[in-house]
Amino acid sequence: MLTIDALRAWGANVDEGLTRCCGNEAFYLRLAGMAAQDGNFARLEEALGAEDYSAAFEAAHALKGVLANLALTPWLAPVSEMTELLRGRQKADCAALLSEARRQRDAFVALCKG
Amino acid sequence: MTLYGKRYARLNKRLALVVDDEAVNREMLGFILQDDYDILPAGDGREAMRLLRERGADISVLLLDLLMPVMSGFDVLHEMRTLEAARDIPVIVLTSEARAEVECLKLGAVDFIKKPYNAPEAVLARVNRVVELFEDRQLIEAAENDPLTGLYNRAFFYEYAGQRDRQLSDCEMDAVALDIDRFRLLNEMNGRAYGDRVLRAIGGVLAGFAGEHDGLAARCGSDLFYLYCRHQESYEPLRRRLGQVLDELSDAVRIRVRFGVYPAADKEMEMEHRFDRAKAACDAIRDDYKQCVNVYSDELHAREVYAERLMNDMGEAIASGQFCVYYQPKFNIRGEEPVLCSAEALVRWRHPELGFISPGVFIPLFEQNGLISQLERHIWERAAAQMREWKDRFGVSIPVSVNVSRIDLYDPNLGQWFAGLMEKYALSPGEYWLEITESAYTEDTAQLLAMVSALREAGFKVEMDDFGSGYSSLNMLFMMPVDALKLDMKFVQNIEKSGKNREIIRVLMNLAGCLGVPTIVEGVEEQEQVDMLKSAGCDIIQGYYFSRPLPPEEFERFIKGGKEEC
Repeated sequence: MLTIDALRAWGANVDEGLTRCCGNEAFYLRLAGMAAQDGNFARLEEALGAEDYSAAFEAAHALKGVLANLALTPWLAPVSEMTELLRGRQKADCAALLSEARRQRDAFVALCKG
Repeated sequence: MTLYGKRYARLNKRLALVVDDEAVNREMLGFILQDDYDILPAGDGREAMRLLRERGADISVLLLDLLMPVMSGFDVLHEMRTLEAARDIPVIVLTSEARAEVECLKLGAVDFIKKPYNAPEAVLARVNRVVELFEDRQLIEAAENDPLTGLYNRAFFYEYAGQRDRQLSDCEMDAVALDIDRFRLLNEMNGRAYGDRVLRAIGGVLAGFAGEHDGLAARCGSDLFYLYCRHQESYEPLRRRLGQVLDELSDAVRIRVRFGVYPAADKEMEMEHRFDRAKAACDAIRDDYKQCVNVYSDELHAREVYAERLMNDMGEAIASGQFCVYYQPKFNIRGEEPVLCSAEALVRWRHPELGFISPGVFIPLFEQNGLISQLERHIWERAAAQMREWKDRFGVSIPVSVNVSRIDLYDPNLGQWFAGLMEKYALSPGEYWLEITESAYTEDTAQLLAMVSALREAGFKVEMDDFGSGYSSLNMLFMMPVDALKLDMKFVQNIEKSGKNREIIRVLMNLAGCLGVPTIVEGVEEQEQVDMLKSAGCDIIQGYYFSRPLPPEEFERFIKGGKEEC
């Protein structure tokens, strides 16, 4: 089960995320759990695989918004960088960033599963 | 929910439409706003548009993400502009894209909330500020504007027109009044919705014209518009533009808009006064169908001043006996010799400074502003007193008819008033005739029918005056109880010249015969007219052929002559 401490230990800026949720830990953790289910990461991987950079940008941009609001910093950082790389909606080398983002996403999902 | 409803919602909660394709973002924003707002969530632009269409009137604010699948926030901003229900909803864009701000502002967004969100208190305060500013603006607009046309209402129009004078102090400005001919009939015949479309169309043209000429426009009555704008040499272009727009509404309905212009208005004069003059110019061409634009002139000014003088002097004139009652005899022509049968009481005004004033001048004026009731009651009483005197002195009863204006027929106490008069002078209602002009019968039929019926039941005799000059339908004639038809003298004036008029008179005599009431023709001057009317079956004649209207002492010669057969 996801906890505040686990998120903090993983590197999330829990205080910032909690502030946006008016200090309500249960609400924050519920939203964080929803982020684990977010389909945008899968869409991002798929779009990059298909070299559809426009779709890739939209997925990265949407995911970035969610992760930023929740302050899930370790996962947010590579996604933010990818969003900027893809902003021109043209071919970009995102392999390393995607790999890092996948690693952080997996770590976060593992936290959620407790 | 109305604007006031939205404001009232403050006591409960307002409704915020939160549009974001990310559930996390929607929920977080909803959580931040939840103390002050009920949240209506939407996952894309299309769903947002559906909710705007269905619940737009209830929604106080729209919080809109830009990049969304199906339909983007940009597309929502575009489409909202054409949606009436969404026009009054402020939009706050949710974005991390600073560069999108300019485009969003151009499309009508009023503010932005950055992603990731700032502190919840800051977000909530920002949303509340936008909503309150917007609602305040709407309240001000609602107070300033006519809701149908969006133009200013009268009070704010004068205020802003005064401001315009200060801003354009060196510029000559025109005060213009516009009025739709017979708008009430237009509404009745084509429906209120059509009338509203006409008003909106005129409002749209005037707003456009005002915008092009540093002006302002207002709707100041049901069909009265005011325009204050830079001086124009001619209002023909505006008249043509209005005509085109109104023609587009309907090929079948012809609408006449009258213009009254007080040009290069004197800026020392009060704004209301300037528009009074424009309206006076507009009213002056009410019956002149060849003219649509009338410019206020010295002549019109002199007429207005004269009319004002008459209105001011009326009370004193009654008190000091300046109004005289003249009597014009009516003769029964059915027998071999004409026989005096009654008289019409007619008012005359001998003003100590202005001299003799024609009733054709002061009666229409007093009818317009309601003063006629006071004058008529005075005349009615004078006539009753005269009848009493003749009865006492000569021992005969000469029935006298008095004129009753349309406005008097709306007085629910009229019957009681006449009954009191009969009692006071010991007269019977059967010898006191009431002349009601035909045009009175075309408005508020039910009420008039009730009043005329009540008067007849009380014993008074009712003549339909000016019959044939107005618009009475045959149906109306059969419904409305009358005791005599009195023909308009205009028919008689051309009687020798026009064969058609002669035929019309025969038809009207026959019509009266069908109704079982006598006919009276007034304005008869020539022997030929008398002969023709007699052969057509006319019963009673009034006119200069027998006598002009006479003061009571002169009228008495007819009584003394022993010709009466009442």
